Amino acid sequence: MNDVFDRSPCLADLLPGPLLEQVCGHMAALLEADTALLDPAGRVVWGTPAANAERSPLVLELEPIGHLAAPVAGSRLQAAAALLRDILLARHRLLMASRLHVESIAADYADLLEQHAALQASEARYKELSAELEQRVAAQVKLLDERQRQLYQAENLASLGRLAAGVAHEINNPIGFVRSNLSSFAIYLQKFAALKERLNDAAAAWQALEIDYLLKDGADLVTESIGGIDRVARIVGDLKGFSNVDRAEEEVVDLNENLRQVVSVLQGQLPAGVSIDAEYGQLPRLLCLPGHLNQVFVNIVRNGVQAIGDSNRPGVITIRTQAVDGGIEVSVGDSGVGMTPEQRERAFDPFFTTRDVGKGTGLGLTVARDIVQAHGGRLAIDSRFGFGTTVTLFLPA
Amino acid sequence: MPELDGARLTFKLVYYGPARSGKTTNLMRLHDLVAPQLKGELMTLDTQGDRTLFFDLLPMGFVAPSGLLIKFRVFTVPGQVAHDGTRKAVLSRADGIVFVADSQVTEETNNAESFRNLAENCSRVGLDFDRLPVVVQFNKRDLSPILAEQEVRQRWAGVSWPLTFATALSGAGVAETFALLLRALYRQFDPELQLSDRHGLDEAAFVAGILP
Ligand SMILES: Nc1nc2c(ncn2[C@@H]2O[C@H](COP(=O)(O)OP(=O)(O)OP(=O)(O)O)[C@@H](O)[C@H]2O)c(=O)[nH]1
Ligand SMILES: [Mg+2]
Repeated sequence: MNDVFDRSPCLADLLPGPLLEQVCGHMAALLEADTALLDPAGRVVWGTPAANAERSPLVLELEPIGHLAAPVAGSRLQAAAALLRDILLARHRLLMASRLHVESIAADYADLLEQHAALQASEARYKELSAELEQRVAAQVKLLDERQRQLYQAENLASLGRLAAGVAHEINNPIGFVRSNLSSFAIYLQKFAALKERLNDAAAAWQALEIDYLLKDGADLVTESIGGIDRVARIVGDLKGFSNVDRAEEEVVDLNENLRQVVSVLQGQLPAGVSIDAEYGQLPRLLCLPGHLNQVFVNIVRNGVQAIGDSNRPGVITIRTQAVDGGIEVSVGDSGVGMTPEQRERAFDPFFTTRDVGKGTGLGLTVARDIVQAHGGRLAIDSRFGFGTTVTLFLPA
Repeated sequence: MPELDGARLTFKLVYYGPARSGKTTNLMRLHDLVAPQLKGELMTLDTQGDRTLFFDLLPMGFVAPSGLLIKFRVFTVPGQVAHDGTRKAVLSRADGIVFVADSQVTEETNNAESFRNLAENCSRVGLDFDRLPVVVQFNKRDLSPILAEQEVRQRWAGVSWPLTFATALSGAGVAETFALLLRALYRQFDPELQLSDRHGLDEAAFVAGILP
């Protein structure tokens, strides 16, 4: 823009070809004489200067940008020069303004481009950031999921361990007496072998070897052993309900049967002073994941047992089932410590536990509720601090 | 860089600052102060009330002992924030700046904003703000509340730009401000232009050419 804006004005800029012709033509007509326009150095820009011409300078800023020359009276020439100067000044203002206008629009446009580029850059940055954020959130969620699953598995393993201990205890007892029965029976058989040696004195030997007693006691031993074996078989059968948790398949079951299994598995490991009182109402059959529901029942009953333990009093776990409108209701109550309203409030908080750190992960009730909800059911807790807690499950059937 | 064109050396000077700080008033008073043969007409282009929309231009000049015409084309920019494009266009190729601040304490933010805008626009139009001759004028000293001169100087202590105080409305400080700018210009450009060696102009004569 230095051409017009920053340069001092000059005739060539202010009066380009056609305009020069027009303006100078009018000047000549007004002056009624040979009129010429000269540049600052005196060279002719327009017209033919008369030999006797007067000159009048044309000053716009400081120095003359040219001269008007004509052979007329000084005052007349000066008036004409003043008029011409006004015309030049008007041209000068117009040129400067329009030049500046163009320039400022260009500057504004350059600004716009700059802003646009900046916007695009920041949008790109934003996109990048949000993508990165999404990734990080996903990674965090995955990590949390993993942690939770690990905790859950750890809890599961721990309860499996406790379960295994109980079951081992349960099975050890019958196995112990079946073994001892069988040892006795082996001795009895030796006595029968000895009887064969003394068949010639059969009656005396029969007496001496106490064969009558052996026959009777042997029969008892066998009966008792069969009973023991049956008990082991039943325990193993009950355990089956827990063994298929991971390859869960839907089955139609009588939920009472599942509860009986749970009670029977847990019964063997109840601490002293805790008993289970179960009453089963008539239930419709239920399509469900029995392994999962068993886990729920184990969790809830075990919580009850712990709550009674924490109360330092003997107590009862009360299990009731009944058919209700639209489904099945199972309630498991305990006469343990109960929960304060704050504890009740946070009972489903995945990592909340009322017990000391290390004794429980707090996942029990959360997992239980998740499983019940996955069955389309509800799980409610009713608790009074110092009196106990009742967990009520509704499962649609 | 001042433009040397035959026997004429032209400096482009710009009065910059926030809206209504008194840039146009400075130019009008300068026009009143300077002897008739040293100045051209004050050209005021298109205003809205007293608000500059394009620019004002005051041409001034004197002839050095060497015969060189030393010419100053002094512009004002429009201070209103909206006219940044115009401001930038007027600013480009400036050889020196007077920054006119409004002394009223209520205007502090506008002053700061405008000063930052000056630095920014300088770099946008390719001027080295750190090497550019700049004078900072605190105008409207007749109004209140304003900070005392001493306090203003304390706040600006450590900057290299000379500070002046003016009441442009009455003309006080207007010539001093311009003289300071002339001195800064001289110091900046004398080595390149050989004003003293080739044109017989020392610093005092350079100032006195316009403001005797
Ligand atoms: N009281 C007082 N008023 C002043 C002074 N200087 C300028 N003014 C007034 O302030 C108003 C704005 O002054 P201008 O010179 O038009 O301001 P500007 O910086 O050119 O403003 P823009 O063109 O909008 O950027 C006018 O009404 C002036 O009369 C001063 O020293 N004291
Ligand atoms: Mg103005």
